[in-house]
Amino acid sequence: MGRAAGPAAPPWHSLPDEVWEHAFSFLPADADRGAAACACHGWLRAERRSRRRLVVPNCYATDPRDAVDRFPSVRAAEVKGKPHFADFGLLPPSWGAYAAPWVAAAADGWPLLEELSFKRMFVTDECLEMIASSFRNFQVLRLNSCEGFTTAGLAAITEGCRNLKELDLQENYIDDCSSHWLSNFPECYTSLEALNFSCLHGEVNFTVLERLVSRCRNLKTLKLNNAIPLDNVASLLRKAPQIIELGTGKFSADYHPDLFAKVEAAFAGCTSLRRLSGTWDAVPDYLPAFYCVCEGLTSLNLSYATVQGPELIKFISRCKNLLQLWVMDLIEDHGLSVVASSCSKLQELRVFPSDPFGHNGGQVFLTERGLVDVSASCPKLESVLYFCSRMTNEALVMIAKNRPNFTCFRLALLEPRSPDYITRQPLDAGFSAIVESCKGLRRLSMSGLLTDLVFKSIGAHADRLEMLSLAFAGDSDLGLNDILSGCKSLKKLEIRDCPFGDKALLANAAKLETMRSLWMNSCSLTVGGCRLLALKMPHLTVEIINDPGETCPVESLPFDSPVEKLYVYRTLAGPRSDTPDCVQIV
Amino acid sequence: MELELGLAPPNHAHPAAGSCGKRTCTEPFGAPKATLPLFLRDDEDSNDRGGGEHGVGACEWEMCTGKRKLVGWPPVRSARRRGHVKVRMEGVPIGRKVDLSLHGSYDELIRTLRLMFLTSSHQGPSICKHRRRGRGPYAVTYEDGDGDWLLVGDVPWE
Repeated sequence: MGRAAGPAAPPWHSLPDEVWEHAFSFLPADADRGAAACACHGWLRAERRSRRRLVVPNCYATDPRDAVDRFPSVRAAEVKGKPHFADFGLLPPSWGAYAAPWVAAAADGWPLLEELSFKRMFVTDECLEMIASSFRNFQVLRLNSCEGFTTAGLAAITEGCRNLKELDLQENYIDDCSSHWLSNFPECYTSLEALNFSCLHGEVNFTVLERLVSRCRNLKTLKLNNAIPLDNVASLLRKAPQIIELGTGKFSADYHPDLFAKVEAAFAGCTSLRRLSGTWDAVPDYLPAFYCVCEGLTSLNLSYATVQGPELIKFISRCKNLLQLWVMDLIEDHGLSVVASSCSKLQELRVFPSDPFGHNGGQVFLTERGLVDVSASCPKLESVLYFCSRMTNEALVMIAKNRPNFTCFRLALLEPRSPDYITRQPLDAGFSAIVESCKGLRRLSMSGLLTDLVFKSIGAHADRLEMLSLAFAGDSDLGLNDILSGCKSLKKLEIRDCPFGDKALLANAAKLETMRSLWMNSCSLTVGGCRLLALKMPHLTVEIINDPGETCPVESLPFDSPVEKLYVYRTLAGPRSDTPDCVQIV
Repeated sequence: MELELGLAPPNHAHPAAGSCGKRTCTEPFGAPKATLPLFLRDDEDSNDRGGGEHGVGACEWEMCTGKRKLVGWPPVRSARRRGHVKVRMEGVPIGRKVDLSLHGSYDELIRTLRLMFLTSSHQGPSICKHRRRGRGPYAVTYEDGDGDWLLVGDVPWE
């Protein structure tokens, strides 16, 4: 065939930017976009300008103004602050992660911003007021594990954001100073699609809530707080039968046939209900009222519910389409064996401790058996968080063999350094089996008695591992060295109470720049070692965190002073300037 | 056969005869308790009681919260950490479990305790008397990590 007649097509590299921006809109994954942006200046320009969604996993990795300048067209931004161990009280309260600079930069550079999410950050009422007044098309606010604001800030949001679709408050610490935030939604406002105020402790005006729910016909998610009694929950459901996700809040009600009938009828109308959560206490009598929704449920969160016994098990056994189940260990081994045989589509299981400190004599009967059963019978199971009091290597080996498809495996044995309870051996063999078998493992938390041997396996085999959590494990620096010199994909490493020192860190300093962050507390680090690390790696911020009560300038401390808490992260922005006294950047 | 479930501080008068109802709550008066009645608002209350069935500071709920040795372990969030505590009421043989994480304040906790212990049908007449009034000279105490018995409400709820 000869050449086609007609004008020659322009060379691909001189296509106008708009074409590239359109092409890049088909690359949703940030990693792919980032890679494309490195190809040439043209692509860098096009990718930058077309980025609509930005995730900043460490708020201190960059200056907010730089982020806004680089990506001027962002419509949805998510920023995360404190390291994960802050959830367990290991970070001093004044550590940082302030949302204010991000809100200010966004208000300046992203006037068309529609969505904002903050996780583990300090968000003030002023931040919320600024959000309410700066973005004319603001639609989605998600605050997860944040603190620093009150219901007055929420009132600014509900009053000011005329196009609000989603207000999602998950596990925040919110000071309740008024209940008017709910009343501030204007009467003409009908666009609410998702509302989650489960973490608020105060009363809300039920009449106002009911009217809001009635007029917002697109409401799909409603998660109530503990202050709303069961009777009112049923009334709300009558007004919103289209609901897909429901958090019932707490109910602890004596059995009344009328109330039972009301609840049952209300749920019978909710044919679209797929996700259910609640802090149910003393409610076995009412579980049958939910039977009609069981078959449709894909997600069930009973991790704050204290129901137990045959009623609980009967309820769960009817939920044949569950993909996600969160429960307390009150379900016990027997309950999990029923889950194993009933919930064949299960993908994620989390089992939380009802009695983490053994107040009640440790009488719950949840052991390794439950996890073995579920992993044997649920072929799609890929994510597990499991708190229990005993484990064996044999069980772990069996679990690894049954479920090579794990992507997330987190085992928390309640007593630190628990060995295999039958052989009294370390659990090295069991966890090694997990990493060797589960080639796609991205997240791993280990516990129990573990020696340096297990770290050899992890370093060698856990190629896709991105996040690793260790506690009371290992014998020496060799363990940490094996992790840091292996684990090609490691992004986050969090360690507590392990005998790891400076040597392994310094020998693998370059690795730390390929990772997002490293947290270590109660290990064997010294001030001198941390100083050396900071000198060696200028693009890392090395934070030494003391107890707020005992602050001593790091410069004055001798080389071998122990470091209680260390937080290291890569950053483009240089050392932050908002540290409290108890945090020193070396 | 008696069922003894409760825990009590060493200097507490032993609530030996666990059987409820008939047994009055007079024992604790003899006990060198440092606790004060939580709900005594007016003097009228104590005067109204009369009859010697029991007196001021009659009944106490005791909570055992156990000892916490390691910070941040097990790795559960603070809302889960409080978990359940065992609550025992003086004169009642069977303890109950209360999930502290479901309550946002001391008021809510007291309300739950009242529902649990004062509305049950097998309480003695002395207690029923107070139920209607909605309050009573009850003290809620708990055992801290050092084994001391403290009055609930002194420290912030969190």
